[in-house]
Amino acid sequence: MDQERRGQWLRGVLDVCVLALLARRESYGYELAQALDRAGLGQIQGGTLYPVLLRLQRTGLVAAHWRDGEAGPARKYYRLTPSGEEAVRRLSTDWRSFAGRVDALLMEEVTSP
Amino acid sequence: MTERGMSDQRWLHALGQELARHRFTPDVTHHVVAEAAAHLRDSGQPALRAFGTPEGYAAAVAESLASQRRQPRRPRGRVRLRASQITKRYGRRTVLKPTDLTVHAGEVAAVVGANGCGKSTFLRICAGLLSPDSGEVLVDGLLGYCPQEGGTYDFLLPEEHFVLVGAGRGFDRGRSRQLGRGGAATLHWDAAGDVQARHLSGGTRQKLNLVMATLGDPDVLLLDEPYQGFDRGTYLDFWQHVWRWRDEGRAIVVVTHLLNQLDQVDHVLDLTPGAREVAA
Repeated sequence: MDQERRGQWLRGVLDVCVLALLARRESYGYELAQALDRAGLGQIQGGTLYPVLLRLQRTGLVAAHWRDGEAGPARKYYRLTPSGEEAVRRLSTDWRSFAGRVDALLMEEVTSP
Repeated sequence: MTERGMSDQRWLHALGQELARHRFTPDVTHHVVAEAAAHLRDSGQPALRAFGTPEGYAAAVAESLASQRRQPRRPRGRVRLRASQITKRYGRRTVLKPTDLTVHAGEVAAVVGANGCGKSTFLRICAGLLSPDSGEVLVDGLLGYCPQEGGTYDFLLPEEHFVLVGAGRGFDRGRSRQLGRGGAATLHWDAAGDVQARHLSGGTRQKLNLVMATLGDPDVLLLDEPYQGFDRGTYLDFWQHVWRWRDEGRAIVVVTHLLNQLDQVDHVLDLTPGAREVAA
């Protein structure tokens, strides 16, 4: 896939993806980056990911606290707040509706004579 | 420590300084740096690859945290410096066309413009070291002036400078030394040594000048590019001091040719011929 376009698309939905991952369980930055990579979204650099987390924290959709790692250093864990949970529900509906329209449009284009 | 670990440490240090420049509280700065450090340890990536430059990452963080910056400072106070219709000629050459500048307590004015457009002349007139051909300067309160160069005495020790300046401001020797050493420490300089000024490096001599100018907390500070020879860290610290002095209610005029601080100052006086407007 065209890397630049992929980056553009991802920038539009990265916060939604992060919220969705945090809806499963609380997590820290690097673990989220790994999960996004495993989900097939590619490598998200820290310089892109943490500003998104900070913005979500500022707007009250996630809360954060520091916790010592079992062996390693302390990490900043993020979890959804109640308004974050509500946002995930709303955003996933919005996304499905939006992506569905794009899908429908593309299908029409491809299948029409 | 490995070479990469070393350069990551430098990167994290630079990030801390950049965040301070964006005026985050030490608490926020600490958390952002610690989180980046944890990410680097977990991912094993070099800092530059994972986060880009410290400047760029700090800017991204600043944008994300826009509402968590420090609270706006206090409103400005009374007029501390008023320069009205200042002109100066050297022979047939006009150095300053009629120039005005008013600075209130709690404000910073930047004087900018090309080399030779009269920035230092204007500041020396404001400091009372040079007479204007016309116009007048009113200063309300104690004044501190830091020249661009010179201003130190080759054969005196730093502490002897403090005593000299302190005497002029009514402090005894002990108090002057104490204030001078304290000011030097904020610039990461140990001024207690017995090195004569002529043997100090250019950057350290400028620190000496700056400490002298600010000794005893003057109400009006006139600073003529005082950071020449400073390393990057000290330069960033210098601007932090400027914002702190401002928040403490001093009136500050800084001659500078560096534009990246201009969005944070209260007035910009551009002395480039044809461009002289004071923008608030």
